[in-house]
Amino acid sequence: MGTPIIRFSHATFGFPGVIALKDITLEIAEGEFVGIIGPNGSGKTTLCKAVLGLMRPLEGSLQIFDCSCEELRCHHRARIGYLPQKGRLDQNFPITVLEAVMMGRYGALGLFRRPAKQDREIALQALANVGMQDHHDTALGHLSSGQQQRVLIARALAQQPQVLLLDEPTTGIDITTQHSVLDLVRRLHRDLGLTVLLVTHDINMIRPQVDRMVLLKTRLFAAGAPEAVLKLDILQQVYGKDLVITEKDLIIVEDYHHR
Amino acid sequence: MLEMLSYDFMQRSLWAAALVGAICSMIGVFVVLRGLAFVGAGTAHAAFAGVTLAYLVGLPPLPLAILFGLATVWVTGVMEEKGQMKLDVSIGILYTATMALAILFIGLMKGYNAEVYGYLFGSVLSVTPEELRTIWILGFIVLCIMVVFSKELYFIAFDQEMAEASGVPARQIFFLLLSLIALTVVVSLKTVGAILVFAMILIPASTAYQLTHSLSHMTAYSVVIGVVCAVGGVTLSYAWNLPSGPAIVLLATTLFFLSALFSPKRLKRAAAL
Repeated sequence: MGTPIIRFSHATFGFPGVIALKDITLEIAEGEFVGIIGPNGSGKTTLCKAVLGLMRPLEGSLQIFDCSCEELRCHHRARIGYLPQKGRLDQNFPITVLEAVMMGRYGALGLFRRPAKQDREIALQALANVGMQDHHDTALGHLSSGQQQRVLIARALAQQPQVLLLDEPTTGIDITTQHSVLDLVRRLHRDLGLTVLLVTHDINMIRPQVDRMVLLKTRLFAAGAPEAVLKLDILQQVYGKDLVITEKDLIIVEDYHHR
Repeated sequence: MLEMLSYDFMQRSLWAAALVGAICSMIGVFVVLRGLAFVGAGTAHAAFAGVTLAYLVGLPPLPLAILFGLATVWVTGVMEEKGQMKLDVSIGILYTATMALAILFIGLMKGYNAEVYGYLFGSVLSVTPEELRTIWILGFIVLCIMVVFSKELYFIAFDQEMAEASGVPARQIFFLLLSLIALTVVVSLKTVGAILVFAMILIPASTAYQLTHSLSHMTAYSVVIGVVCAVGGVTLSYAWNLPSGPAIVLLATTLFFLSALFSPKRLKRAAAL
């Protein structure tokens, strides 16, 4: 395993009156591909915000790139490429694909610097990495959901990040496109050596892709190799007794209608 | 028509209109995209309250207009940030409160002051050389700041949370945008008036929005439309003896409805169906 670049140490995160993630101790090593799973309200998005430096721990500590949360500066955040949960994009926003991807360069450029020809080339290369180079002049709102996800991944890649943080990247897209997005992420992890944190509800789809799974339920319930985390007794404690694992190792909810 | 250019007051009016048209339309792009339409309206009334207080106590109007404008946008920004209140609600409250203050200050004045009403309804044709100089200086500062920080302003308009996550100081840029709105309103008060400056911020950018899918093109079109409407409105007011502020805004409104009717976006959608 590589050098740890993200270290949670007995860290608790929350909002006034609500604890979203309690006493979490976790290290993410450089070059890992980690899947983050858990039911709704388990703290997955809170974990993302914490890694991005958008939430400070109420207790404990969080170190990102050897910096504490309080010391995290804009240039640290620029090293984390982030794909937010789908649904926030304004489909009518007047922006072309290339303009959207170029925004990934702004944090890295810093204030007072204008994007140069080199930045445009980095953005075009990022588009090529996701197979969208032919659409650079297309309006973002005109693309399909899957294509938009690719463009937003390209935007994150344009930052030339060390870490790629994806929050439910397959939500709201068809199953074929889900597989192609995950295959893309896997290829980027392999070819570019990125550390990838992928938050998802789809345990079956993510299992073969990741090096390690992290299971949350407002605390760190389990972390380790997928086969160690995805055990029936562990999953039933988190998701409930209706969860079953089939003969072909598929994790599903038992169908009430066919009892 | 060309004879109007021989008059000093018309030359100043056209320059003031062009500058205000350019600044309002450029800041308008970020206002429209970020959804801050009513911030412009509320700030205009706050700035007008500053002007009326200045006339009441015998001070120059500009500093108090800037103070009231900036205070209003900053309070609005803090309230939205803390999640205590939606932006449109807090602006609505501040809008009415500052307008009430303005009416109070006017009521306390001894006698009728035509200059005050010039700031309410606009009087571009009476812009003095000193006022034109002030518009140039403030306008130049606002334009320079917008150009320097344009990439950050576009990013927070697109997705402020993503901007912050990407390493852009999004919160500070948001407050910078609010401050630029306030300064733009103050620069434009004498030309278009507090009642209509909101329209000059909103309409050219909204017109440009109808015409393109590109951010950079939208900005360029907005500035061209803003300048054309401002200069065109002043020219029409000279030619047809109309009040200048309403002439500018009504010309802009006409262009907006034409653009909405013949929008390439709308026509493409209709063709696809």
